[in-house]
Amino acid sequence: MLAPGGLLLVLVVGVPLVVAGQISLLDLDQYTFRQWLDAPFVGLDNYVEAVRDSALPHAIWVSAAYAFLVTLITLPVGLAAALAAHDRFAGRGLVRSVLLIPYVLPAFVVGTVWRIILQPDGVADSAVGRLGLDAGLWLNGPRSFWALVIVQAWTAWPLLYLLALAGLQTVDPEVHEAAAIDGAGWWVKLRRLIFPYLRGPIALGLVITFLHSVNNFTLPFVLFGVPSPRDVEVLPVLTYVESFQNFQFGLSAAMAVFSLAVVAVPIVAYLRAVRLT
Amino acid sequence: MRHTRLLPRPVQTAVLVVLLLTVLGPVSYMVFASVSSDLDVASGAYLPTTVDLGAYRRIWSTVDLGTGLLNSLLVAGVVAAASAFVSVGSAYVLVRFAFRGRVAILRALLAMQSIPGTLMLLPVFVLFASASAAIGVQVIGTRWALGLTYLTFALPFSTWVMVTYLRGLPPELDEAARIDGASSWRILTRIIIPLSWPGLVVSGIFAFLLGWNDVLFASVMTDPDTRTAAVALQVFGATQEGGAIPVYGQLMAAALVCAAPVVVLYLVFQRYLVGGLTAGGVK
Amino acid sequence: MKAIRGAITLLLGSALLTACGSDDGGGTDGAGKTLDVLIGANTIYPEQQRKWFDDVSAKFKEQTGATVRFETFATPNDELTRIQTSVLSGQGPDVYALGTTFTPTAYSTKAFVELTAEDWTKLGGRDKFLPSTLGISGPDEQHEVGVPFTSRPFVMAYNKELLAKAGYDKPADSWDGLRDQAKKLTAGDVHGLAVAYADSFDPWKFIWAMSLQAGNPLVSDGKARLDDPTTAAAYRTYLGWLATDKVVDPAAVGWKNAQAIAAFGQGKAAFLPMVSATSKVTLDKSSVAGKYAYAIMPTIPPGATSLPSGGEGATSILSGDNLVVASYSKNKDLALSFVKMLTDVDSQRTYYQTFGELPTNATFAKELQADPALAAMVESSSKAVGTPFTGAWSQIQLALVNVVVQSVPGLSSGTVDDAKLNGLIKEAQSTAQGALDKAK
Repeated sequence: MLAPGGLLLVLVVGVPLVVAGQISLLDLDQYTFRQWLDAPFVGLDNYVEAVRDSALPHAIWVSAAYAFLVTLITLPVGLAAALAAHDRFAGRGLVRSVLLIPYVLPAFVVGTVWRIILQPDGVADSAVGRLGLDAGLWLNGPRSFWALVIVQAWTAWPLLYLLALAGLQTVDPEVHEAAAIDGAGWWVKLRRLIFPYLRGPIALGLVITFLHSVNNFTLPFVLFGVPSPRDVEVLPVLTYVESFQNFQFGLSAAMAVFSLAVVAVPIVAYLRAVRLT
Repeated sequence: MRHTRLLPRPVQTAVLVVLLLTVLGPVSYMVFASVSSDLDVASGAYLPTTVDLGAYRRIWSTVDLGTGLLNSLLVAGVVAAASAFVSVGSAYVLVRFAFRGRVAILRALLAMQSIPGTLMLLPVFVLFASASAAIGVQVIGTRWALGLTYLTFALPFSTWVMVTYLRGLPPELDEAARIDGASSWRILTRIIIPLSWPGLVVSGIFAFLLGWNDVLFASVMTDPDTRTAAVALQVFGATQEGGAIPVYGQLMAAALVCAAPVVVLYLVFQRYLVGGLTAGGVK
Repeated sequence: MKAIRGAITLLLGSALLTACGSDDGGGTDGAGKTLDVLIGANTIYPEQQRKWFDDVSAKFKEQTGATVRFETFATPNDELTRIQTSVLSGQGPDVYALGTTFTPTAYSTKAFVELTAEDWTKLGGRDKFLPSTLGISGPDEQHEVGVPFTSRPFVMAYNKELLAKAGYDKPADSWDGLRDQAKKLTAGDVHGLAVAYADSFDPWKFIWAMSLQAGNPLVSDGKARLDDPTTAAAYRTYLGWLATDKVVDPAAVGWKNAQAIAAFGQGKAAFLPMVSATSKVTLDKSSVAGKYAYAIMPTIPPGATSLPSGGEGATSILSGDNLVVASYSKNKDLALSFVKMLTDVDSQRTYYQTFGELPTNATFAKELQADPALAAMVESSSKAVGTPFTGAWSQIQLALVNVVVQSVPGLSSGTVDDAKLNGLIKEAQSTAQGALDKAK
């Protein structure tokens, strides 16, 4: 019963991965890609060029920093949302659904909407202006980094909320009763009795949020376009531009392999921490 | 069970109000902008000065959005169903049988989440093109090839969800059946699947979302008859450059129309969603 | 007698043609075949474009029996991805409509049919086309891949009312003069110029034009010349409009081309440089309808009062679409007959009347010359110059725009930071040179 899924994964993920690895060792560009199997083999040249002469190190830094911040923001927000949506109240079903909307909206839609919100003289500027603050540039310059963090956090937090909410369902009913009798403050109760149950789902949520943020191509691409402002030149956009605009397929594949390494760090850490039996 | 509150009422209310505002602010702006004049949007007005539903009429003729929606429903729907059932089979094996490499597979499932789509695009395309040359049948541009790609990308997470769900089912259930001589296939179809609906729904929904939202693969693997809603939507975005004035109203209306099916899907299955992720617990 | 001779020639001619056709295995007899054509989605005339697809398909079916299937791409990025995947896999559309500036890169892939003398004959001869439109079809006459299909020379729209009020009867012919006019025209919420600083394509066209006018084509003999002082001057002029001259709406740092057109359409700008004839539809529906006109953009580079020696008075890049045939296509002859059909007088007329894009067909272009409304476009078309023909041009173009993108955040400070600008230009120069060095 493993066969159908396994076969698909080997064919549609495994084989292309090997091909991508091979491409990263070739001098593959607009002059050679028509006969790509004949492209000159250049060993690790592409990797060397990626590290030494490209924007890759900067992109790794931007990607990691932004994904880390997004993950950091989604934790308290998602957790608070789950706790608040857990207790019964009138209209709970509706509220729970509404809270999922940012996650459900296609990234292309999220990017488009926020780009219009954040454009100069747009609705964000007029809101900020009404507060008497300086309306500035959101889609380029230093603030663009924060725009990316905010928008990605806005669309990503409901996953953590969902997983935490699911985790809350697993809390033993006796724990609730014990907590009720105990008489301790709500915060102490949460910390001592409830949070231990949420450790697993939250760890999973954090890892997936980080991965999805690092690998999100559509959102930065739609928000800022290309060439990307330097402050938001993230890995997927850089690799996309290198291969699909600059035709440096070999270099781009090498960059993508590096970005695999970036996301491998939290994955490995997570897999070491959880018990898989 | 005596119900106890996790948060004091005022805290709960405050949290919910802040969150709802954060979510509904941009979402309501989408709705308002779709009925505003393009001028209002450009000048940063939140509320429309005039209400014009014309954008909702015009979007259908600007691009072939109808075909796009139909294709998306078809592809994402089939992917959702297929991934739920393929993943329950894999997950069943992974949860109930001990064999070498089992843990490695579980790890790989999660690790696969980390592969960037931009890395896979060209190789997948090359693969399909050579397959097509080998068997002499058109592959690229067909719905099933696109569906197959999405299915594969959806499988790791779907299987992971099913693994956690099936862990929550007491092993005694199928052990009893096994002692009675039932085959694994029979146990899966007669016992496991009927008990796993919430999990199946969740893994199906995540797969549906993946197929519905993808732009990268759909933009090169579809032709005019098979293009998905996400690709059709790009055309509205493209009006930003090259000659026409921006059609914010149509852009927002089309975005809302494309988002509606997934939002409805979540509204309908919202209850399963929590339950489906729950049972096994991820510890 | 003459009529009969004519009829005989015609008969003979068609018999010969048919014979040729059947000789090379099917030729233009396309019964049962399908030709795939990739072309940009027209966002201004979506419905008309669909109708045009149907009409063209019907006409081609009538002529050859073959079906044409049109595919569209939404953005240039989309098109690039599509071309790359198709070339890599050896399957995809038979005919592509490519932007002129992308033709050199397409040529360098060797994935498109190089047109032989015989091919040109099948297309109706090279003479059929306006000579200037053939300027970017290939590195030289013997190696051409692109067949000119439409021409979209860039011009400048100006608000006649605003100019008259300020005492100008026409836009200046030098960039310095234009800046001075723009300064005088800037008052209240009306600005002298509408410029799309956040557009992905517009900025490099300004830099290229100003550099070329000052005698620097940006690439010569395989060497990038972005570090030339003329290029720095071009950037300073272009960025200075907003930063120091303050003749552009500060919000323009976030504008795409469409928003610049919208601002001009609301009467909030006196000049709208770098637009093509396609803007006419939008502007005729706007509040400046009837109050604006087109003129060619200045041809005298920044800092000069007359064209310097060595400078070229280019009004526009050679802009428009070329049709190319994929070399993997199994329907080459069919594709050529299709390209021939699209570049014939009738098709070119229909295309112009439907979409407002200028013809490349010499005969039809002559017909249009008399139209005063098109004077500026026609003039610009004749003074347009092709961008350097190198496979690295796409990268150079991106590097040129990148300088603007990275400079934009600093503009609000009211100065163009020379040190920063020079650093960015240096980087662009090394990117451009690197790309040229890799050319094979």
